[in-house]
Amino acid sequence: MKATEMNSLSNDASGSPVVEAKDLRKNFGSVQAVRGASFSIARGECFGLLGPNGAGKSTAIRILYGATSRSGGSLTVFGLDPAREAREIKKRLGVVTQENALDEDMGVRANMMMYARCVGLPRADRGKRVDELLGAMSLDHRSNARIRDLSGGMQRRLVFVRALLRQPGLLVLDEPTTGLDPAVRLHMWERVRELKDTGTTILLTTHYMDEAERLCDRLVIMNEGEIKAEGAPREMIERYCPGTVAVFPKEAGLRERLVTAAAENPDFSWFEDRAGINVRGPGLAAVESFLGHHGMIPRILRPSTLEDVFLEITGRELGGDA
Amino acid sequence: MRETLSLAWRVTMRHWDVYRQNFVANISPTLSDPLFIILALGIGLGAYITDIDGRTYLVFLAPGLAISTALWSAFFETSYGFFIRHTYEHVYQAMMTTPIGPREIILGEYLWVGLKGAGMSLGVTIVLLVFRLGDPLFAWTIPLIGFLVALACGAIGLIASSFVRNINQFQTVYAILINPLFFFSGIFFPLDQVPRFIQVICFASPLYHGVRLGQAALWNDGFGAALLLHGPFLLLLTALLCPIGWMRIFPKLYR
Ligand SMILES: Nc1ncnc2c1ncn2[C@@H]1O[C@H](COP(=O)(O)OP(=O)(O)OP(=O)(O)O)[C@@H](O)[C@H]1O
Ligand SMILES: [Mg+2]
Repeated sequence: MKATEMNSLSNDASGSPVVEAKDLRKNFGSVQAVRGASFSIARGECFGLLGPNGAGKSTAIRILYGATSRSGGSLTVFGLDPAREAREIKKRLGVVTQENALDEDMGVRANMMMYARCVGLPRADRGKRVDELLGAMSLDHRSNARIRDLSGGMQRRLVFVRALLRQPGLLVLDEPTTGLDPAVRLHMWERVRELKDTGTTILLTTHYMDEAERLCDRLVIMNEGEIKAEGAPREMIERYCPGTVAVFPKEAGLRERLVTAAAENPDFSWFEDRAGINVRGPGLAAVESFLGHHGMIPRILRPSTLEDVFLEITGRELGGDA
Repeated sequence: MRETLSLAWRVTMRHWDVYRQNFVANISPTLSDPLFIILALGIGLGAYITDIDGRTYLVFLAPGLAISTALWSAFFETSYGFFIRHTYEHVYQAMMTTPIGPREIILGEYLWVGLKGAGMSLGVTIVLLVFRLGDPLFAWTIPLIGFLVALACGAIGLIASSFVRNINQFQTVYAILINPLFFFSGIFFPLDQVPRFIQVICFASPLYHGVRLGQAALWNDGFGAALLLHGPFLLLLTALLCPIGWMRIFPKLYR
């Protein structure tokens, strides 16, 4: 049943991207939240939208499902324009909103039953679907609880249930795992992969770089409303900061030695952040021989991650919006 | 259009679901307030008033207060109620992720206040009829009048919601608009003897026309004539206010 539904979704416009944004813009008065973002999301892929606080991620997402108008550019979702055909788009969409926005006036199950009606599940199927999803998210024992009596993580899981009530062709996740404990986060990743395996396209926003690295086939990094970089996670690490990083404690004398040593060798660079003074080189062997040569012992030796790429592109300072 | 209605109905049903969870607590003040006013003023104050146009004060008050429940329930629903759902509870934000859009939300809101106003004024009327404080012949028109009055007053609440910056500012709207509307609607005294300019202003009040219609119906006194005079005004005001409310609140839901 699942698979056939997914297939019927993928048949109608096979090959064409699920989301295509060209020069997308959004102004709130004088604030330019999105300034000419172009990206496309292919059918069945997990696409990451990363960026610091205030980068315009949620705004872009809200435009995508017709909750906000756009100020410029073109956008199609399933080949439809959200400004005119949001309703048709939303029939095929599941959204985990950044704010839970659960209905405080109703209990857990009543909430989901209400949304099941809103998304248009036939009356006869609602109870079964809701109970199935509550069970899958281990919330069945809290069916009658009030929303405010749930823990933050439980509320987050309930938002997942809401997004999955009608099996979506495109699942939009705006910081889905914020506030979840490690076990639940792993569980969510598994669910997301399962959905992806059944053909669901996924748009993911997150501040957890490990999450993006694990789940995303492709991602963009946004900053101040613009897309600054795009690629597969591994590919971006290779492109922007390949190699290995040695992390040293922040000591004035050490900094001087490191800076001079790094300046001598064009393959090496240094930067300072909260973790300490960092020296980056092309690979583990090269970094080890560099350290041996200068007789320095780092606190940590680690491969570059997506986080390095993110910080490299968006800057290590707190933005005005942060 | 059919789909729009069906989606709007889901919004209405959400409000009904929430309302009926605490049905008794919710409905008691709406029904008891007008009945207490009728009793207190009708019996207490009424003792000092011989009659108005040949009616006891009790009978005089009754229809207007039945209609006024439509004003109160509609105004509170679309002012405080809407503001809380929108700003604090993010109810609409979540609905917007479903096929429901801003149009359906507003339409659902109107349907809800209209039906609630109809139900409330009918409820009070039934109690009045039980106590023989009205003529049942035209009583069936009360929910229709209540529906229109509630739509118009609901629109006023939505317009207020579109202007206020915080929830306390509704008190100002209440004080300078809703209260005068209530007291100068012909519920408590006939408007014939108030200064002419007030009478003219009252003609712009949907509640006034609703009250006049309700009185003609429950007194069974010149209903046809009242329908001809006040019916078109009530319809016109409702038809004017509802789109204004719509246009004011739409950008708050979709910007
Ligand atoms: N309704 C609004 N009115 C005015 N400005 C807004 C509105 N919504 C967003 N903004 C502004 O648009 C910019 C982008 O906000 P947005 O919520 O899209 O950021 P984000 O990338 O999702 O950030 P975060 O990671 O903190 O969730 C911010 O400067 C924000 O202040
Ligand atoms: Mg956001």
